[in-house]
Amino acid sequence: MSRAMKPARRWGLFGLLAAIVVVVNLPVILMILNSLQTTEQLMTARTLLPTHPTLANFYYLSGRTSFWTYLRNSMIVSGGCAALSVVLAALAGYALSRFRGGFLSVYARLLFVVQMFPIILALIPLFVLFRNLDLINNPLSVIILYTVFQLPFATWMARSFFDTIPRDLEEAAMVDGCSRFRILVRIVLPLSGPGIAAISIFSFLFSYNEFFVANIFLRDESAMTLPVGITMFMQQYSTDWGSLMAAATVTLIPTFLLFLGVQKYIAYGAVGSGLKG
Amino acid sequence: MALEFAAARETRAWLRARLWDRPDQALPYLLLAPSVAMMLAIVVYPMAQGFYYGFTNGTLIRPGAFVGLQNYAMLLGYSDFWNAVTFSVVFALANVAGCYSFGLALAVLLNLDLPGRGFFRTALLLPWIIPSIVAIVSWRWMIADENAIANRLITAFGLGPIFFLSDSRWAVVSVIVIKIWRSFPFMMLSLLAALQGIDQSLYEAAEMDGASRRQAFFHVTLPQLKDISIVLCLLMTIWTVNDFDTPWLLTQGGPANATENLILLAYRYTFGRNNVGLGSATSFITLIILMVLVVFLLRRQRER
Repeated sequence: MSRAMKPARRWGLFGLLAAIVVVVNLPVILMILNSLQTTEQLMTARTLLPTHPTLANFYYLSGRTSFWTYLRNSMIVSGGCAALSVVLAALAGYALSRFRGGFLSVYARLLFVVQMFPIILALIPLFVLFRNLDLINNPLSVIILYTVFQLPFATWMARSFFDTIPRDLEEAAMVDGCSRFRILVRIVLPLSGPGIAAISIFSFLFSYNEFFVANIFLRDESAMTLPVGITMFMQQYSTDWGSLMAAATVTLIPTFLLFLGVQKYIAYGAVGSGLKG
Repeated sequence: MALEFAAARETRAWLRARLWDRPDQALPYLLLAPSVAMMLAIVVYPMAQGFYYGFTNGTLIRPGAFVGLQNYAMLLGYSDFWNAVTFSVVFALANVAGCYSFGLALAVLLNLDLPGRGFFRTALLLPWIIPSIVAIVSWRWMIADENAIANRLITAFGLGPIFFLSDSRWAVVSVIVIKIWRSFPFMMLSLLAALQGIDQSLYEAAEMDGASRRQAFFHVTLPQLKDISIVLCLLMTIWTVNDFDTPWLLTQGGPANATENLILLAYRYTFGRNNVGLGSATSFITLIILMVLVVFLLRRQRER
């Protein structure tokens, strides 16, 4: 806004915003604080802040539960999906960015619409198929599914990155007799390093956070990723709040750190949701 | 000199046409081939298969026989189905209304010249980026039962405990509030980007015409945001109808199916009751409902 604010108004609004930030994040803040209390302490606590902070929950989590198995599975699934989708998205994104044609625009439209489908319609036949192929409880099943389900976002992001790279270099290389595929691999991809990194991190985050698909395809405790594994701590009558909060707190750390790294790239993905033309 | 420039421009145009604009080259199709193959195998074909399953009576283990429209006829007679339709609609409308108004208010605040607004912007994204399970665990702890922190606070004011998760009405409210909490950052971020794209001269003109801040908001800001707002609300409606995580992790659709939307219902029929036909039919009806919204969305985008 062009007009300047009076200092009193400015600091008043600042205070309001600060208060909103605290209230909005209160559930997460309390969760992190409470992970420092045992379930017994939690049940009898009289104050909001822990009086005798302890790492007991984290020791229990590490030594007595399948937490490390869940974490390992999460890393395999998310890493696999990130690697696979960055390749698919870079190839398809380059095609959508540089070339024009009827088939390309049909595919672009399909990508957009596919994100709106209720995926459970496809998951039912896929479950039957994967059961016959013995892929249930196999990380490969969710790696493939995640890659495809977030392909629209990744492809659009790749496309917008390539759009920002001027074509002159490619044209010069073409004059020098470089083949088109070599142009992509040798010139365009190295120039889009940050974009490629951002795409793989977003793919990683998507898979790391995902619950619905994992919940259907990873049923055995030894195959579960973190989001599904954590529900094991959430039995209806005897929730072990201490372990649950500790597990959720640890799960949060990678998400948070990776997000801080890529948040400035979010605008590129927004194009994919059709927010910009 | 001038001639050389013209020749260079000519070469460039020729090159450009050779490099990009020729419709007959194979490269774009080769680049798309892996993605298209995966899309067909994992989305398009299974969806068609799911559509067919809706006309059969199979289980997850054994393929069934063709039974025509029987599943659809049964579904339309079930109160569970109509209950899920109603909750899906209520859930979507309430969430869109809630997260749009909260998101817009915060976008307007963040668009002001306030100290630390970069930090506030990032801090307010937290509910959106954290895994659904973490979001639900953090809320569940606050509202789980009569000993939970929310109820200690309420009873301290002399009011009775509220059963946020086991009373049907309160369960609906809880699921909606938490969904709004998880959705508003997306609205906030998108609307903030739209606000920053509004031509500043419009505000200067309004100021010159003697418009107050409030008048400028209603007569400049809101009309400028209209198109993007419609798109955002349609998108959010579609995403909310598709949401599984929030109601499932919070209440598993209970108590007494009060928070069961169409996705949860399809999931329960398929994986709880092992009735693939009924589950697929429910999913397909959801697809039809969503496609109506998608058509609106695509039409909106073409206009823009």
